[in-house]
Amino acid sequence: MMPMLLLAVLLPYNTLVVAGGVAAVGCAAGVVGTLSVLRRRALVGDAAAHATLVGVAMALLVTGQRSLAVLLAGGLVSAIAALVLLVLIRRFTRTRDDAATAVVLSVSFGLGIVLISGMVARGVPGSAGLERFLLGHTAALTIGDATLLGIVSTLAVACVWLGLKEATMVAFDPAFAAAAGWPATAIDLTLVTLVAVMVVVGLPAAGAVLVTALVVIPPVAARQWTDRIVPMLIIAGGIGLVCGLAGVVISSLATRLSTGPVVVLVAAGCFVVSLVIAPRRGLLARWWDRPAAVPTADQQRLEQR
Amino acid sequence: MGAAALAVSWWGWLESIGPMHGWAMATAAVVAAGCATVGSLLVVRRLSLLGDAISHAVLPGIVVAVLLGGRPGGPLVLLGAVVAALLTVGLTQLFHRQAGLAEDAGVGVAFTTLFAIGVLLVTVSGSRIDLDPGCILYGILELVPFDTVPVLGYELPRAFFSAAIVLLVVSVGLWLSWRWQLFTAFDADAARAAGVPTTAVTVGLLVGVSLATVAGFEAVGAILVVAMLVVPAAAAELLVQRLSQVVLLAVALAVTGAVAGYLAAWRFDTSAAGMMAVVLGLEYGVAVLVAPQEGLLARAAARLSYAWRVRCEDRLAALWRAEEAGLPVAGGLSAGPPLQWLRLQGRIEPVGTGYRLTPRGRAEGELIVRSHRLWETWLGQHANLPVDHLHPPAEWIEHHLGARLRQRIEQDLGRDVRDPHGSEIPPERPA
Repeated sequence: MMPMLLLAVLLPYNTLVVAGGVAAVGCAAGVVGTLSVLRRRALVGDAAAHATLVGVAMALLVTGQRSLAVLLAGGLVSAIAALVLLVLIRRFTRTRDDAATAVVLSVSFGLGIVLISGMVARGVPGSAGLERFLLGHTAALTIGDATLLGIVSTLAVACVWLGLKEATMVAFDPAFAAAAGWPATAIDLTLVTLVAVMVVVGLPAAGAVLVTALVVIPPVAARQWTDRIVPMLIIAGGIGLVCGLAGVVISSLATRLSTGPVVVLVAAGCFVVSLVIAPRRGLLARWWDRPAAVPTADQQRLEQR
Repeated sequence: MGAAALAVSWWGWLESIGPMHGWAMATAAVVAAGCATVGSLLVVRRLSLLGDAISHAVLPGIVVAVLLGGRPGGPLVLLGAVVAALLTVGLTQLFHRQAGLAEDAGVGVAFTTLFAIGVLLVTVSGSRIDLDPGCILYGILELVPFDTVPVLGYELPRAFFSAAIVLLVVSVGLWLSWRWQLFTAFDADAARAAGVPTTAVTVGLLVGVSLATVAGFEAVGAILVVAMLVVPAAAAELLVQRLSQVVLLAVALAVTGAVAGYLAAWRFDTSAAGMMAVVLGLEYGVAVLVAPQEGLLARAAARLSYAWRVRCEDRLAALWRAEEAGLPVAGGLSAGPPLQWLRLQGRIEPVGTGYRLTPRGRAEGELIVRSHRLWETWLGQHANLPVDHLHPPAEWIEHHLGARLRQRIEQDLGRDVRDPHGSEIPPERPA
């Protein structure tokens, strides 16, 4: 903790602002991502992230403003629309989940590119370089942006906390939840919407591909340490938070290192460490004490949902 | 008139744009064909997301190859991309087996990490390589014709040449390994048991995917390669059943989408690669609508024709019951469309102000009533339902019982039974 505080004192104001925003997003993405990974929807966030481009372009076209809040609102609308489309494709065609995800992802991304290129060609003010929105522009976060990210992240975590029982039920056994009279579809849609919100909010912090990582990697790393959902949520949130902080700090120390990839690589490092040294499930533990590697009944029950 | 004017104006600019756009379009078409060929197998094997992952994860391989002195589009870069792609798949499998991760989560961890490494390598190496992550993501089809290589005395665009080679390689590879690919795609376990080297088959497919991806990179960009890999194949899979047909149709759809997308992008002055993805998406949407049997239109048509048949059969049954009761012919029946249809079909004929059954209509109406009453009776005997609950199920099933089932129910009921309401059950008459 001390070195962290020391860094906080030594770092320039700008870096602190960015670090705060990215850490908040990392934490909330880890928490929301836990439920999504357990629900086997790890890559839904990827589709949502690419679909935001359409909404971002439309938002600029309609309002003529290029403020973060406006663009994010547009992105959120189109991300949710894409996820609804995904659910409809699953419901009404025999296209399988993986192909449906890839179709929605690539076509909505193409549409976004078409809109933006068309706007640039017609000289719509503010449209130049809009497609870079998906690459993230972390260093440009202002204190207002960071506050926005913080508020949305807190709300998302609060949502998960309030609906934890319902979300757990649906994540582990949707059929049972539905049979027991829970509004399983509504809970599911809420979860998917939360993922969309986190992805959209994380975009400016990390970029499209890398926000996918924030939703997937911390939960997967946390999964190595525990078999219970509440500890998993807390660990995932903690890993996301630390990765956000550490990534921003590291990239601010070296010139030329862009923040998003560094955050992801820190997260990947956490995952590899967890994979190796985690008690019971870790590679070392299994190598050390082979019989301990047999909690597979438990494990498989968790994983096969 | 409008269409003719449109055609003239399109032809006009097609002539005016000259060979540059021809080459760009041809490159896009060849890239699309290669992607759709391997993409069909990815989709059928439920590996679509691997296409997404590979198209991102080849970035570090390409960057390292360029740093080692490879030329964009050259063999070293292709090799680097293939290695990175196989690394993605290997890592995914490792996470799946060793850490018990679900496959999608494993894919998510592997490709985002590799992509992050690639982006970092690009930014760190800075001026030493002229790779722009933006251009890798979005492609620059418009510049394809300006970078040429001499081939057999002709100046061919380099991107076209490498895409054509890749198309040749993947088609020949698929052709040679077709039976193995087919067997592995549909039942990998049985294929392995039968001695098919399934691992080699899968690795071969993934090498093909990474080759097609790299070839498509420069032309259309990473994410739109995903569109070309997956979308035509997903559309084709809705439309036809056999895998060979899926591959051929996917290639046709992909090439059409590429050319139409390029033209539309030119017309509306926007990104060609993006427009191709949109056109492919539209093709998928059309496939969802018009697919035989499971398409939305086919299902709606089936539902409508079923509802219509039920309407008509209910009218026949009502007329038959009216005759049975000796009521004035067709009293209370308004001449709606079903009655008009039945009249056209020769099932009923007008008499006075109403209708009566023709012999053919009478036979059919009688069968409906017979089915209805048999079912009510059988339910009454076996299901222990109160009498007023027997009608609704019978009203539904009367349209579905066949001759053999009616016969079996009758045998089950025994001789000389009346239905629960006391009506006689009409006998089965030879048609």
